[in-house]
Amino acid sequence: MVLRKSRFSLLMWLLFSISGGGITGYLKPDIPVLGPMVANLTSKGKTLATQGGDLLNGQSPHADGKPTAVAGRLASARQPANGQPQTSAGGRQGNGNLLIASFNIQVLGQSKISKPGMKELLAHVIRQFDLVAIQEVRAKEDNVIPELVAAVNANGSRFSFVIGPRLGRSHSKEQYAYVFNTNTIEHDPSSIGTVNDPNDLLHREPFVTRFRARTQSPSHAFTFWMVNIHTDPDEVPQEVDALADIFQVMQQARADEDDVILLGDLNASEKQLGRLGRIPGMRWTVRGVMTNTRQNKAYDNILFQGQATGEYTGRWGVYDLEGNLGLTRDQALQVSDHLPIWAEFRVWEAPALNSSVGRTSPYN
Amino acid sequence: MTEKLGESQKMNSAEMLQKLKQGSVQERTEAAEALARIGTDAAFAVTELAEACGDQPAVSEWAIAALEELGPPPTSALSALAELTGSNNTLTTYWAITLLGRAGPEAVSHQEILADMLETSDDMSLKQKAAWSLGRIHADSARAMTALKQAALSGNARLSRLSRQSLQQSQT
Repeated sequence: MVLRKSRFSLLMWLLFSISGGGITGYLKPDIPVLGPMVANLTSKGKTLATQGGDLLNGQSPHADGKPTAVAGRLASARQPANGQPQTSAGGRQGNGNLLIASFNIQVLGQSKISKPGMKELLAHVIRQFDLVAIQEVRAKEDNVIPELVAAVNANGSRFSFVIGPRLGRSHSKEQYAYVFNTNTIEHDPSSIGTVNDPNDLLHREPFVTRFRARTQSPSHAFTFWMVNIHTDPDEVPQEVDALADIFQVMQQARADEDDVILLGDLNASEKQLGRLGRIPGMRWTVRGVMTNTRQNKAYDNILFQGQATGEYTGRWGVYDLEGNLGLTRDQALQVSDHLPIWAEFRVWEAPALNSSVGRTSPYN
Repeated sequence: MTEKLGESQKMNSAEMLQKLKQGSVQERTEAAEALARIGTDAAFAVTELAEACGDQPAVSEWAIAALEELGPPPTSALSALAELTGSNNTLTTYWAITLLGRAGPEAVSHQEILADMLETSDDMSLKQKAAWSLGRIHADSARAMTALKQAALSGNARLSRLSRQSLQQSQT
């Protein structure tokens, strides 16, 4: 009972302390008492955004656990191993769905993107997807993600980004970022925030932002929260359990939003998801495969509640840097010790528990 | 696409260590990055990597990345790591404490150093990590127990929680 009460307190605290625009932002923007909370949220670090999309192709696809032959840009993405990567199909021109990815780009800083060819290679990988949640931006400077997005857009793409504050308990800090194709995805500028963690349960509190698929009928487009996380490898069970609370808080953050996609470097396989994995209906896309470059660990995943997020098509994959880009293992390890993982979602909002609730339109 | 991304410079263990300790900033960075690419195989360099956490940012970031993937340090490195807890650099101390904790009960002979850190450090991140490590190594000395009990009363939620957890671990 005590534990339950404690969890409830945490839940309520998180619920009332996250949202830059979630529960407080544009739904009831004039509630004065909530102002300081929003200020507190933003004071943890400034959020940056720039203009910035085109997509290519991608990866080793699976349909709900089984490798599958797929069409469009997913299939073509598998080709670049020895040939020319396809550079045509952008965004949804492939099969009309959204590709959402997570990529821990190990020690993404100035020294990495300054290496000859690295920026262009990372840009190519990012263009495979509509939205990429990035972990491990480690830079004293603020120009790393802007430079990377500029490289993504060098071919005429229109990607943009949002980046979170520097986080970490020691003097070594990391940032989360979202890089997304503005041709296919838009974000709610008032929804950007870092989860408040008053009990300091997490080394790097999740970075949250709400997105919407760009369609000709915005009121019917798929909207969702993204929750970007990189757990502390020394405290994985505790942190994964805390993420269960955060996931449920995010589900309640807005009455009109039932879709929460939690993704990142969990430092945990699908068998180590603790309470997070025991949330009723919880689904995790990555199963039975390794997600690190050395191919001996399953650290990364994309999770959501199946009942709520009926937009998931069942297709997912781990982007093979070596196979898709013709890299040696050594070169792939220069890019990162993690591989990008991805899942596919439809662009139209699927009927779900909260589907009758009208969706407001705060997007740019 | 990949034409410009070259193969990294091949270094054997001795070269990596030598460059990490005595090379230029660029060589130290390359050595730390090379160690970060070999995962747990970098364990032979654990002490040097902990020291490198206090180096310039470019070196330090890769040293930390290497240590994050390293897992428990070899037993032969524990005494050197215990000495590094006295470093003037907070990041080096932080990682020395973390690695002692990762070593588990094999590092219990260093519990007094960790108890001292918990009692006397002015840095909350070091106190928290010391409390965590004392639990991992199953500390059992009177001083360690006293330090943990005191820290369990802390107003800092994380320090208090970790201390309570470590007391429980030490009693099992």
